[in-house]
Amino acid sequence: MSSSEQPYIDPSEIPLSEAAVQRFKNPRDAFWSGIRDAAGAPAAVLFAGMVGFGAMGKTNGFDVWFTTSTSFFMFALPGQVVLLEMAITGSSALAIALAVTLTSTRFVTMTVTLFPQFHQSNRNRSLYASVHLLAMTAWAISMREFQAIEARHRLSYFVGLGLLCWLISVPATILGFYLAGMVPPAVTLGLVFINPLFFLLTFTEVKPWINRIALFLGCIFGPIFFIVDRDTSLLTSGLVAGTIAYYIDRKFLRKKAGVLG
Amino acid sequence: MEALNQMSESLSGWGLWIALVGACLGTYFCRAIGVFLSQSINQESEIFRWLAAVTYAMVAALTIRLIVMPLGLMATVPLWVRILICALAIGVMVSNPAKRLVPALLTGTLLMVGYGVIR
Repeated sequence: MSSSEQPYIDPSEIPLSEAAVQRFKNPRDAFWSGIRDAAGAPAAVLFAGMVGFGAMGKTNGFDVWFTTSTSFFMFALPGQVVLLEMAITGSSALAIALAVTLTSTRFVTMTVTLFPQFHQSNRNRSLYASVHLLAMTAWAISMREFQAIEARHRLSYFVGLGLLCWLISVPATILGFYLAGMVPPAVTLGLVFINPLFFLLTFTEVKPWINRIALFLGCIFGPIFFIVDRDTSLLTSGLVAGTIAYYIDRKFLRKKAGVLG
Repeated sequence: MEALNQMSESLSGWGLWIALVGACLGTYFCRAIGVFLSQSINQESEIFRWLAAVTYAMVAALTIRLIVMPLGLMATVPLWVRILICALAIGVMVSNPAKRLVPALLTGTLLMVGYGVIR
């Protein structure tokens, strides 16, 4: 498949440098490396985000079981926030389920871009369990790190990364629930802000120009579509901005050597 | 308290848990569909490139919405304060992207806490 006319090939076929090939000795090594990579800033950020979410559940009158269940079973902070907000404003159960599902459509594209990078031998039904560990934090780190990880060790690395993120989100939600009301509002303000800030900062690490254009256009179209229709705005702005970025890349950028990288 | 009363009128007890089950199933469905589609997509590089662009755009739309058009507590902070803090945090980040994620995050978060204290 890696013909010279096709600049982008199956990522698992990308030849690796010597250092990358020898990065992990075995799957266990890769798994623990994933845990270690998650245990720094990503876990701290997610922990803070989930604490903020727990506090939000408490201050809006939900019980601790409901609030924590969303972290355990959904593990998708934007969807969880939508669920709480729509329940507060009195939407029907069906409308809530549909809106949350729409915010989760990003997982379709996240999975489709990340999972083909696993080695063929790992791509079986067990991925239907592993995929629950996929969230934006683990996706952003994996997309960056996979280039330097041998294909057959990528799944172990991803599971280590995702598992730690998932497991800390439950105690963090419970902690936030019981902390709410104890910490001053200024601290809560900081906690609420940490999630969008983290997402924004990871954008500066995105290298390919097609994805940079997509990010820029997403920032423009996001608010516009949000005003037009709140529930579907993520999906529509993603499709419109992403497609324009793809078109710009295909029509203009690929013809210029050097810009493509 | 007003929000709480509204909630008890429309969604309470079982209705709330049914909404949760629906939300969980919908979220897992999106993840599972991704796995299903990824089985057949690895060779089609054009679709792969397009989907990556769509995902990044979607994530950008979500982020900018959380910053520019927030709901709840964050909406009480003026827009220019939110943008200024973001700009300062990005400034810390790009000064050395390899090592400065945590310092940049701390800068932004502490500035926001600081604003909350002095306002």
